[in-house]
Amino acid sequence: MMDWAYLFEISLTGIASGGLYALAALAFVMVYKATRVVNIAIGEMLMAGAYLFFTFAAMWSLPLWLAIPAAVLASGLLGAVIERTMIRPLLGEPPISAFMVTVGLGSVLVGLVEMVWSADQRRLPDFMPSKPIMVGDAFLAPKVFWGAVIAAVFIAAVLLVFRYWRGGVALRATASDQGAAYSVGINVPRVFSLAWVVSAMLAAVSGIIVGSIGGISSSMGVFGLSVLVVVIVGGLDSVLGALVAGVLVGLVEALAGAYLGGEYKLLATFIVLVAILMARPYGLFGTREIERL
Amino acid sequence: MAQQRISTRRRSIMLTAAAAGAAALTQPLSVLAQGADEIVIGGSIPMTGVFAFAGVGINAGIQDYVKIVNDAGGIKGRKVKYVPEDTGYKVDVSVAAFKKITSQNKVNLYYGDSTGFAKTINPELDRNGSILMAGASFATELNDPKKYPHQFLVGPDYTEMFGILLNHIAKEKPGAKVAFVYSDSEFGRDPIDSSEALAKKLGLSVPVKIMTPAGSVDVSTEVIKLRRAAPDYTIFHGYILAPIPEFITQGKQQGMQSKWMGTFWTMDSSTVMKMGPDGEGFMGVMPYRYYYDTEKAPMLEKIRAMRPEYQSTAYTQGFLAAMLFLESAKRTLEANKPLTGDNLKSALNSIKDFDTGGLIGVPITISGNSIPVGRVYRADMKAQKMVAASDWIKL
Repeated sequence: MMDWAYLFEISLTGIASGGLYALAALAFVMVYKATRVVNIAIGEMLMAGAYLFFTFAAMWSLPLWLAIPAAVLASGLLGAVIERTMIRPLLGEPPISAFMVTVGLGSVLVGLVEMVWSADQRRLPDFMPSKPIMVGDAFLAPKVFWGAVIAAVFIAAVLLVFRYWRGGVALRATASDQGAAYSVGINVPRVFSLAWVVSAMLAAVSGIIVGSIGGISSSMGVFGLSVLVVVIVGGLDSVLGALVAGVLVGLVEALAGAYLGGEYKLLATFIVLVAILMARPYGLFGTREIERL
Repeated sequence: MAQQRISTRRRSIMLTAAAAGAAALTQPLSVLAQGADEIVIGGSIPMTGVFAFAGVGINAGIQDYVKIVNDAGGIKGRKVKYVPEDTGYKVDVSVAAFKKITSQNKVNLYYGDSTGFAKTINPELDRNGSILMAGASFATELNDPKKYPHQFLVGPDYTEMFGILLNHIAKEKPGAKVAFVYSDSEFGRDPIDSSEALAKKLGLSVPVKIMTPAGSVDVSTEVIKLRRAAPDYTIFHGYILAPIPEFITQGKQQGMQSKWMGTFWTMDSSTVMKMGPDGEGFMGVMPYRYYYDTEKAPMLEKIRAMRPEYQSTAYTQGFLAAMLFLESAKRTLEANKPLTGDNLKSALNSIKDFDTGGLIGVPITISGNSIPVGRVYRADMKAQKMVAASDWIKL
């Protein structure tokens, strides 16, 4: 007989952990929306943010209220450096060039982390409340719950920024037509820079949360694989898509893990990916490109 | 045109010279320069990469034991040379290192870094016939003297590690429920099926087996599954640290009463201490004494005198590998036999009730490819130490 309480508990956990995917996916979408660069190194940027937090909080023993913003700002700086040195020189080049650079960027970041911090697994200092969250009789791990709350807050903030802030509007304008954006006086390179900085900062927040749950190591960029599925399912340039697809993938993974076994988690995720792409090749909420033949 | 004739004598001298030249070319100069009576230990050691935490210790352990032996005059007057290469824990790099080391040295003994390497290089060991190999792997598959006649494990294999834990559990709580949590990797899956059968034989039950994908971050759904099975004991295998702490933390938050256990590569003191307060009472199998153990162990005292700071259990593993390598070489030479793979292995298998100087708490006998002995240790977070929770268990 179906154990509904079990299904409810598993689903709740899946949806909450989907929030973490959504946050990392948001970092990806920021860059893609503004620059059309597919940043395959998103998992590694998230890892870099987590290691910066580890350095400030555990190695330098800074208080948390200082360590978290410091790690986020340092990640923003890293994003700016990446954009200025690797991405901007490729402006006007075919998209595949920038894509390949991000593939290399992932390896460079892993190499740097192994050189500076070694490949050993480490634990981040606990900073989230440890009181279990109970929804009826269902248990929700506190870190996962609070991670999802933080993700929801950031996603809402980004949605509002895109809607109402001038910078957000500039970003959207650049995304839809660079030439037109130039002609109305938008500083397109600055928009590019801004997108990378904000994306790196969001990745850092995501990395700090993910790292505080599963620990950090030089291989935590693997998380980026599931994030890529999320952004493709959601539509590469849709913030709302990132949120919906994050929750969907989180839910599917949790159900597959609970009812089929851990080995079916990724398989289930990729089946979802293929099924959605067959029905909607541009993702759930992605911009439908008009192709003229 | 007059044809120049070469005399038979001159031709034979030229042929001899050419043969000597060809022989010299096939053997690099370093081999020709190597002392004829040197005993060489080659090593594919992961000094970088994900297994570097162990490789650095293994390397130091082998180095130290070689130094102890050389300082005492070597093995039957022959000096020991240790030739390591970094592999980054990659099988292809490890094979390249093996080729490089064996082409430049006449290698007698070899330390390999992974199960993958041990399996890949096995046909070469059989063909070569002059090397005895051990390594960082405790894979059950390698514990087969017929299939792997020139290799051995420096401790119990993974199934035997589970055997030691299950024997302890069966004694402590007969009829207990034991959950297995393991990674989706060759390392993780290794002992699961055979250990489930053993558990049943010992009167224990296995209510749930949970496999987690490699690199999974969030294990909340797995913890819920585990809580519902309500095991008395949970054994983790195929991980170093993550996601064990998260399992324990969430399990305790959900009111689980399980005792938590691990296998060798999780059980170094520094790894367990990273689990924080929730790691209190974490137990696991360890074939060696910890660096700081206070029971009588002259070899540990020697190590502590050489290196005053804490040395990992990976260090002890490397140290013991070198000790067993050179004990085999000593026994082979004492029997006036050449140092071939077969002779070294049969010398190893002649080891009965051997005293490791206290590195292992009981005398050991190596009748096959493993040393099926170990002890259950428990984390004392207050003292920041692992303390013995059982006697030495021999299978």
